[in-house]
Amino acid sequence: MINIGRSVTRGDVQGKVTGETRYGGDLMGPEVLTATVIRAPHPHARVLGLDLDAARAVPGVVAILGREDIGGSNRHGLIKRDHPVFCDDRVRYLGDAVGVVVATSIEAARAARDAVVVLHEPLPIVATMADAVAEGAPSLHEFGNVLATQLIRKGDAERALSEADAVVTCVFKMQGVDHAFLDIEAGYAEMVDDVITIHASGQWVHEEQRLIALALGVPLERVRLVQPPTGGAFGGREDISIQIYLGLAALKLGRPVRMQYTREESMVARHKRHPMEVEYTLGAMADGTFTAAKVLIRSDEGAYASTGPAVLRKAVSHCTGPYRVPNVTADGVALFTNNCPTGAMRGFGACQLAIAYEGAVLAMARRLGVDVVALKRKNLLRDGEQLTTTQVVPVASGLDCLDAALTRFGWEGRRTDAPAPHLRRGYGVSTICFGVGYGDGYPDASRGRVRFAEDGVLEVYSGGVEVGQGLHSLLAQIAGEDFGIASSEVRVIASDTHATPESGSSSATRQTVFSGNAVKLAAGEVHRQVLDAAAVMLGLHWEDLAVRGDRVVGLHDGGVSATLSSVLRAARERGFALDATSVYKPRTVAPTDETGRSPRAFLTYMFGSHVAEVLVDIETGEVRVQRIVAAHDLGKAINPREVAGQIEGGVAQGLGMALMEEVVTRQGRIANASFTDYIIPTILDVPTIEAVIVERPDLEGPYGARGIGEPPLIGAVPAILAAISDAIGLPVHETPATAERVWRILRSASPTAPLSGS
Amino acid sequence: MSDPNPTRGHGFALRFTLNGSATSVEVDPRETLFDTLRERLRLTGTKGACLEGECGSCTVLLDGAPVTSCLVMAPQVDGRSVVTVEGLAEGARLSALQAAFVRAGAVQCGYCTPGLLVAATALLRDNPRPTVDEVRRGLAGNLCRCTGYTKIIDAVLDAARVTAEEKA
Repeated sequence: MINIGRSVTRGDVQGKVTGETRYGGDLMGPEVLTATVIRAPHPHARVLGLDLDAARAVPGVVAILGREDIGGSNRHGLIKRDHPVFCDDRVRYLGDAVGVVVATSIEAARAARDAVVVLHEPLPIVATMADAVAEGAPSLHEFGNVLATQLIRKGDAERALSEADAVVTCVFKMQGVDHAFLDIEAGYAEMVDDVITIHASGQWVHEEQRLIALALGVPLERVRLVQPPTGGAFGGREDISIQIYLGLAALKLGRPVRMQYTREESMVARHKRHPMEVEYTLGAMADGTFTAAKVLIRSDEGAYASTGPAVLRKAVSHCTGPYRVPNVTADGVALFTNNCPTGAMRGFGACQLAIAYEGAVLAMARRLGVDVVALKRKNLLRDGEQLTTTQVVPVASGLDCLDAALTRFGWEGRRTDAPAPHLRRGYGVSTICFGVGYGDGYPDASRGRVRFAEDGVLEVYSGGVEVGQGLHSLLAQIAGEDFGIASSEVRVIASDTHATPESGSSSATRQTVFSGNAVKLAAGEVHRQVLDAAAVMLGLHWEDLAVRGDRVVGLHDGGVSATLSSVLRAARERGFALDATSVYKPRTVAPTDETGRSPRAFLTYMFGSHVAEVLVDIETGEVRVQRIVAAHDLGKAINPREVAGQIEGGVAQGLGMALMEEVVTRQGRIANASFTDYIIPTILDVPTIEAVIVERPDLEGPYGARGIGEPPLIGAVPAILAAISDAIGLPVHETPATAERVWRILRSASPTAPLSGS
Repeated sequence: MSDPNPTRGHGFALRFTLNGSATSVEVDPRETLFDTLRERLRLTGTKGACLEGECGSCTVLLDGAPVTSCLVMAPQVDGRSVVTVEGLAEGARLSALQAAFVRAGAVQCGYCTPGLLVAATALLRDNPRPTVDEVRRGLAGNLCRCTGYTKIIDAVLDAARVTAEEKA
């Protein structure tokens, strides 16, 4: 194979190392205006009006726009369309917008914004999930404070638990997490003829185009969205951010407009990972065989729906992870509060539940007095067995990944000594799984177009966005493969609503399988056209011919060949378009309302296993991760080096979630909305990560590939928590496991220990 | 050079050496070097992910020392020398570090890359054959959210090796 399985160099990195790449905030032009958002004065308030006199008097102010300037629905939202672009008469969180200032400079725009007086009457703040369900709690939406519920009913969990030889119940609490991509929301918009042209980074340009058009009340074709190079996303660009403000300003003023959030604004306005509380009861027979699980999940949805219902479904459907559990009852509820909305983030829902089921499995191993790895081996699904949703998994490779991770780590030879009296060494092992794509019956689809351009260059067109993960390079690899054309010779045209086909969202670890398959189908069609033309030219059957770079050659008769350009010319003369668009749209099945079961909730599942080693300072509670091995079965690594990069990056984000990252919210106000106070891992915090690629081919994915984006984060968090727990001999059920939390756990078990610092 | 943003303040005639070239620009004495580079001189390779000195994305060399340009006021560089990511390549030829970042797969979204390359350039100049721990300490001021840093360390060590071999 010329491309598949090779660590090819991505086409986008040259400009990134020279500084030439232009991200959203780098798009400037003469006479460009600057916009900034006027936000809510209080986390929950009735808005009585805006006093704009002082703001309008600021030199350089061009316009102050608000809901009366919007001709459409004035709403966005990926599932429920409940998020106002500009609030009507009520604000529900501090990131809510009430208007936007457009001025000739950012300084003028900010001065005017700060001069706006939002007349308002504060309302009681629903600060916590307990507040949301309290007697007499204010209703944040017409239908109350319950956004969604989701359940699983399989077998008879109550009875199985009452008959189990061992039962453990653990309560887990997971924090809100910020995506903290480095490229703060920024973009540029202008009118090109009659078309509102917006250059801003999202994760699904065609859906954003729909949402912008609906909100502004303009026809779809009058909104063009172009994704500039993007500095990370991790789910954080799935919801609309600046796009509608930019589009409105360009439309109303007829002048180019740019916009850039500050880090604080980005953290206050953008959705977060869902904080969740999980009560997990696991039952087993004396020999360790799991018999039942009962899982209760509460999820803090914040002020608007975002992707909350999908996150809750993912959490519930993944509640027993890669384990065989015959009797399961799960109940999840997502509750509105006046906190920042919560939505998509790498591992959405599946990540929180992995912390819970792995914590419960560890507790069960302790209860039974058995080795946790042996307990995992006994209960991990085998090929062809059923998940909790009743879906049969043809390739259930949890054991393969576990073995690969333990072998690489050198598990049997691990040392138990501590380098100093105040340090304890600990090891943790995780095994996880993750369903690829949107699933649950959603009509998820990708399109891909492949063609030979007039200049003879092979082109691939995709609406799928590149956010750092290497998608466009991967699509070039697949497009070129049949032709024997190296990916570096393939021209990629991408993520422009007016030039590329719809390829769905760059999320849910779906693009490798979805867009990869669509492009592979399209390339296959163009390939057949080329071979058909060559067959006529060369007098051989098309199956006996192959394209090899710039020539078409006989497979069995090396003497037969023609230049590719002559074949392309002949093909066009025969009326072949040399241009094909294909769609990949596999079927999944929605879970039933009564049981939550589905024979195919997700297209395919990915398995992974991590081994973590930590040192814990038992005097201070500080944790240092010494080593992480991360093994993932991704079916086929189309670009192994980039796959390793995804694994390493996902593990580092998991390390952040496990140890340090926490959006601290008090009374609806984020207390740490800056990089000074919201701590993400530095190069000093992350050990060298050892990525292990397991390849058991997928039945659906292109060349057997499944993708890789999310599982590395999901596997890292429970492995690190288990390692801490191993080091201190106590459970760790709350994240992040900061030094303070670990110290409190140690102290609660040993109350006579001295107070820290005393 | 014409000022692309005439509504910004003025009042300080800044003269400094930028990527080896004598440069003059009228600035507002209250603006940061970061803003001067990006907004006035349109050198947008220098990135800003926090603008409070935490992320290192805006790192440039000031008289050879890595500084976060968001915390340097423009007049502070008067008469001094500034090198940005745009000044690292030798013409069309990538520097050893840039080439190593490409080879190692150390670039994903790329937003941290300019600051890391600038910081690593200073690191290798002062310590041409660093250990892994020395690379970590030298780059501790630069956040990356995509890579987990593993391939960044590989790239810096690889650039050090290549440079040493070329000199040998």
